[in-house]
Amino acid sequence: MDLKQKLDILADAAKYDVSCSSSGSTRSNRGGVGNAAVSGICHSWSDDGRCVSLLKILFTNYCIYDCVYCINRASNDVQRATFTPEEVAKLTISFYRRNYIEGLFLSSAIIKNPDYTMEKLLQTVHLLRNVHNFNGYIHLKAIPGADPRLIYRTGLLVDRMSVNIELPSSEGLKKLAPQKDKQSILKPMGFIRTHIQGNQEERKMFRQAPTFVPAGQSTQLIVGATPEPDFQVLRLTESLYNNFSLKRVYYSAYVPVNTSSLLPVVAQPPLLREHRLYQADWLLRFYGFSANELLNERHPNFDLDFDPKEDWALRNLYHFPVEINKADYEMLLRVPGLGIKSALKIISARRETALDFDDLKKIGVILKRAIYFITCKGKYYGGLVFNEEFMRQRLGQSNRQLKWQQLPLFD
Amino acid sequence: MIYFLYDGSFDGLLTAIYEAFYSPIPPTQIVTHDNFIPNLFSEERHITTDLEKSEKVYKAIKEKISSTALKNIYHAYLSELTQIEIWIYQYLKLGFKLGVRIDNRVSDEIVMKIHHAERKVSFENHRLKGLLRFQLLKNQVYYAPIEPDHNILSLLAPHFARRMADQNWLIHDLKRGLAAVYSLESSNTQKWSLFSLDKSLQIQFAEDEELFQDLWKTFFKTVSIEERTNLKLQKQHMPVRYWKYMVEKN
Ligand code: SF4
Repeated sequence: MDLKQKLDILADAAKYDVSCSSSGSTRSNRGGVGNAAVSGICHSWSDDGRCVSLLKILFTNYCIYDCVYCINRASNDVQRATFTPEEVAKLTISFYRRNYIEGLFLSSAIIKNPDYTMEKLLQTVHLLRNVHNFNGYIHLKAIPGADPRLIYRTGLLVDRMSVNIELPSSEGLKKLAPQKDKQSILKPMGFIRTHIQGNQEERKMFRQAPTFVPAGQSTQLIVGATPEPDFQVLRLTESLYNNFSLKRVYYSAYVPVNTSSLLPVVAQPPLLREHRLYQADWLLRFYGFSANELLNERHPNFDLDFDPKEDWALRNLYHFPVEINKADYEMLLRVPGLGIKSALKIISARRETALDFDDLKKIGVILKRAIYFITCKGKYYGGLVFNEEFMRQRLGQSNRQLKWQQLPLFD
Repeated sequence: MIYFLYDGSFDGLLTAIYEAFYSPIPPTQIVTHDNFIPNLFSEERHITTDLEKSEKVYKAIKEKISSTALKNIYHAYLSELTQIEIWIYQYLKLGFKLGVRIDNRVSDEIVMKIHHAERKVSFENHRLKGLLRFQLLKNQVYYAPIEPDHNILSLLAPHFARRMADQNWLIHDLKRGLAAVYSLESSNTQKWSLFSLDKSLQIQFAEDEELFQDLWKTFFKTVSIEERTNLKLQKQHMPVRYWKYMVEKN
């Protein structure tokens, strides 16, 4: 099989993996080719409008496991292929030198056994780093069940490592991925976290100590393949950030590729739900919200008509309206429609002079939604009175007009 | 109406600004010789670029305003937006009064104009760091043609000098007839420099070049998820005017 056919098969098999982000690592170029940019660079956008920044491929799609939702499951009749470590290295380097990509995102199905697979992945990144002097970004999926020593040695060579949880509950795993269990996933995650932390300590004392997974670890959850509500997914996310120090959790709307009585029947992948989860994830990481504030047992799923912040605000109207010239930064961040940039702009501009409504517009704060939740110099511009029904109606209307696909999904 | 005419270089602009501060009647416009269209009322004054004067202005901005202000006006200059020079002059006038606080005056029209131009330039620079494509030529030089809206070659070059440090490369701005050339043989510590380079350059691909272009196209086609096709979103992130030199899009 020639390289082009392999690339076609193994890129296709990897494409449902959503994490495209290549940011968070600064690797400087030491005499070879490549460095990792902090802010992340998109090199192209595919026809589905997603940022293309990494050469995202599977090492192989031959798999000994039989996860029900997965296109590569052992019992599926699909075309299979396996790269050699040299082929992956050559593709990566040649693409990188032409500025097609920011780096490599390598994962793999499980061929022969977890250790054998992990060894191949290690060989590949070893070739790239130590033979080709490649200093660009590498994100690698660790293979659950592989020998920790192999995971450790690989961790010394890559920027980011992840172990996919895929299904947000143990029951889900039991049903759809019977050969995996919570332990085989959480163990390597805990192992990677421990070494990242140990390594940070080491690097404080000896600058020369080799880095271990400097851009941190991430994971992916499939939403919609199993019945967990958003509240359960978001609580899992929160504990992953808090207990495993994950850098990112990615969500992937379930796209049916197999048919099985164990799988739900869906007409459309739940994209809007996926989008709401990303928005909520954002609120957890950067806006000081907790999962329990956004959802609870009685309100376990996000409202599809309102974004999670609006949804929260509408249920907690006693906080509003806030005075734009007085509210502290944390409160500004909680105003629907105001982002970090706008909040910072407001804080710095109001140092010069008290802001009225036109000033906000002038400094480029978008008020379309925020208008219902703020006052400027004591004046309310959101309507005649501050009224929940009216706000729900107006916000709901503008949300339906807003094409949510155009919001930035990936950073 | 007094028009200050300069040679289009950054030093030329700083010299013009130096003269503007010292002349009894400040300029109505500062424009390059090439962009100047005389009219009935225009009175011209030719500015000769003077490195000593430009150096003085450069230093004064850094010391009396801030390095951010210096970056802002450099980027604004690179924007090549019409009349940007006179806005730069206004911005500096205000800057020498307010010092480092000038960039907090975000609701001031002058500051807004400069920030707006600066953002455009930074944004396109960031964008092209991704969208630019090198092609390997027969002489083992990686060649990238571009036609950016703004004159960002001098911003792109340091990025690629860090990143593609062990290959010879050339970025060619076909719109302006300029090139940034990075050569491993260069004996300077900075291995890249800017040249004028004619648009009608003949190029010849290296042997493997078409193979890798083809592989990239394969990858690009494969990664898109059909159920999610959204060409509008694609174009929004990656405007069609940049497609001309993108392997996967032409
Ligand atoms: S182990 Fe991975 S590749 Fe193999 S069937 Fe399960 S999800 Fe698919």
